[in-house]
Amino acid sequence: MLNVVFYFQVHQPYRLRHVNLLDIGQNIDLFDDKLNRQVMKKVSEKCYLPTNSLLLRLIKLHEGKFKISYSITGVAIEQFKLYAPEVLDSFKELADTGCVEFIGETYYHSLSVLFDTNEFLDQVSMHRKLMRDEFGYETSTFRNTELIYQDRLSDLVFEIEGFKTIITEGVDRILQWRSPLYAYKNYSKDLNLLLKYYKLSDDIAFRFSNREWPEYPLTVDKFVNWIDHLTLEEKKNRNQFLNLFMDYETFGEHQWAETGIFDFMEHFPAEVLKRSNLGFVTPNETTHLANYQQESLSFPDAVSWADEQRDLSAWLENDMQKNAIETMYDLLHRVKQKGDEKLLEIARKLTTSDHFYYMSTKYFQDGDVHKYFSPYDSPDQAYIYYINALADLEERLS
Amino acid sequence: MKILMYSWEFPPLISGGLAMACYGMVKGLLSQGIKIDLVLPTKEMVYFPLRQESDADTLPTVFLDPILHSRFVQEKFETLQEKLEYIGISTRPETYFQLAEIQHFLSIKKEYWLSDTVTHEEQDLWNEMTTQLTGDEDLMKKVQEFTVRAERYAAALSFDLIHAHDWLTYPAGMLSKKISGKPLIVHIHATEFDRAGGPGDERIHKIEHAGMMYADMVIAVSQYTAQMIMSRYRIDTGRIRIVHNAFSMPDDAVYAKRRLFKGPTILFLGRITIQKGPDYFLEIAERVLKVHPDARFIMAGTGDMSRKLLRKSASLRLKTGFLFSGFLNRKQVERVLRASDIYVLPSVSEPFGIAPLEAMAYGIAAIISKQSGVAEVVNHAFKIDYWDVDLMAETINHLIEHPDICKKLGSDGKKEVNRIQWDDAADKIRILYSQILSDFIRRQ
Repeated sequence: MLNVVFYFQVHQPYRLRHVNLLDIGQNIDLFDDKLNRQVMKKVSEKCYLPTNSLLLRLIKLHEGKFKISYSITGVAIEQFKLYAPEVLDSFKELADTGCVEFIGETYYHSLSVLFDTNEFLDQVSMHRKLMRDEFGYETSTFRNTELIYQDRLSDLVFEIEGFKTIITEGVDRILQWRSPLYAYKNYSKDLNLLLKYYKLSDDIAFRFSNREWPEYPLTVDKFVNWIDHLTLEEKKNRNQFLNLFMDYETFGEHQWAETGIFDFMEHFPAEVLKRSNLGFVTPNETTHLANYQQESLSFPDAVSWADEQRDLSAWLENDMQKNAIETMYDLLHRVKQKGDEKLLEIARKLTTSDHFYYMSTKYFQDGDVHKYFSPYDSPDQAYIYYINALADLEERLS
Repeated sequence: MKILMYSWEFPPLISGGLAMACYGMVKGLLSQGIKIDLVLPTKEMVYFPLRQESDADTLPTVFLDPILHSRFVQEKFETLQEKLEYIGISTRPETYFQLAEIQHFLSIKKEYWLSDTVTHEEQDLWNEMTTQLTGDEDLMKKVQEFTVRAERYAAALSFDLIHAHDWLTYPAGMLSKKISGKPLIVHIHATEFDRAGGPGDERIHKIEHAGMMYADMVIAVSQYTAQMIMSRYRIDTGRIRIVHNAFSMPDDAVYAKRRLFKGPTILFLGRITIQKGPDYFLEIAERVLKVHPDARFIMAGTGDMSRKLLRKSASLRLKTGFLFSGFLNRKQVERVLRASDIYVLPSVSEPFGIAPLEAMAYGIAAIISKQSGVAEVVNHAFKIDYWDVDLMAETINHLIEHPDICKKLGSDGKKEVNRIQWDDAADKIRILYSQILSDFIRRQ
């Protein structure tokens, strides 16, 4: 049996205003309320609302056989409440179906695990509480920001009671000859490990509308045949898991409605369920379904799902990114010492990884993706505004 | 007395200190009754007849478009080159500047310079200038066009002498002298050696040399510059005169301190180009921040080294101690001056340097590069070799640790610079005009 595991990432950062030098110490709002509202409104209309209503319909139609999972960041939920409360309501409706799993992560979509483990644990707890409060859901699967993962992270997650599974990228350099279709264990064999099947995930997320791609156009029939084909390598009736992980904004925002992405999704579950050897499960169900001795995998170095390199270089490559993030965690520490809740909230919004992504100077193909997602003219500008914001926070602190 | 004056910059057409120097000088000269026909690199072929002091403030801006230019240009373009390309004669010189006009340009050369009355020396200088003026870059094309236009001004206007500011206008000045037979003064605000922070563009050296050789008088903005002209261009000292620049503050200036930062604030203000020594400022900051981590270094301005400096500052991990302002308009510059305690001019080579005087007018303690003309006119400032970053850093540390000394230096400096007036400089220039004219009349 091959089970399709859908996991969608839902995230919107609090984008910074163009904070200029002369704004420092003037007590301005550091975040661009107007832009954040605009983006949320746009993405809600193009993606969140239509996709939620489509998936809700499909879940009801297939009576428990079609299942999906979400990881929704705390800052996204906050901005739903501020700018698009109807989106949060529609996620709650999805939660009520019982066919949706919610996944745990850091509340602020931060890189805190790399810089401040206490802050990491705090942000994970904040997010668990949020999922409980908003959806009445007890998270048992964990995904770290941008699927960043390494052995040390699994130790930390194992410490938190309740997490059984971690999901991350199916990186070739770790898997080597192994298949990402099986459930693994982390290096200490304490946690279940699911790996993104990046080829088929990216066929939907990135290549779907690319006319240069030889497989264009991607039809449901073709895609499900590919999936079916994967079952040929199944041995001894071992359950396989095809982990299709992607940004939720793929639907309607990265791939516009005109590309046919919604039609694709509409017909995909039925086509899968037509075949007796295929089905859908959520990540936490895989722990019971792994009917074999799970091999443990060691990730000595950090991996992620970003860019060709699938490492940390999208956020932590150049000096601007490093000076910015080091200064920020330094400042966060000082804010905590002072115990000012208001400043702590601002500082934590500045931990969101997107701020460092905007400062990336990778100019080739991936750089284009960075540019597409950046609200600023250049990495240098993004850096200047960010450092000015930190300087402002520092002035408020002293 | 009436002057035909050529300049590449004038407010609101600003990209550097040249505009402000010309403005102060022109105003001072007008107030002394001197009439000026001012030619600028405008898009239309126009000149500005200035007859009274207020005319300097009321240039018909339809040709200069101050809002679009000063705001848009400064924000939009990083480098001086980009700015000149935009604010210069035309946005598309290759289409605007027809081949026919270039041929016309060459015909002028023959008409004026191959006649029998021309000495060999004159011909050499003309060749030196014209052969260098053949580049394909936008800037060179604009200088060519500016020069072609000079022919009509020189022939149609009546004036007593010609005054040309910096190399971009020297070919126009030379041509005007040849056509009108009137004396030429060339004014050196900066040489290519200053701007390039090294040898620079040899074509520009040649044009500068030809202009200075062909002029009846060379005015240098400082002793420092005069020295440079003598040693680098071998100009006869007898023809060089020194007139220090002055400065004036706008009437609506507000001087009261208004901090941005609680910690000591140290300012660099100017174009971020090699000439201004921004990299030395960064080295100084690195040293001071080790001792005083609460200090803030502000790099105010833009320029072709901005990006390099930004990346370098990040690599030094100066946290929030080294900040960039980007382009600032006049009011924003004032805001940043009011927020600063110490001003540093680390220029590698600064013929004069008005910015430190402005900073001092705000009561800010100033540290000035010894390689500058401004160091000759102020006493209440520290003067240090630009490369001596250790001494610069020690001096800043000393001022941070002794706020009373810092304040005293600032207030003494303020008193001192308030005595430096454009009227005095204009007076000196007026006397030089008279000398040249009487020499000229005697010769005839």
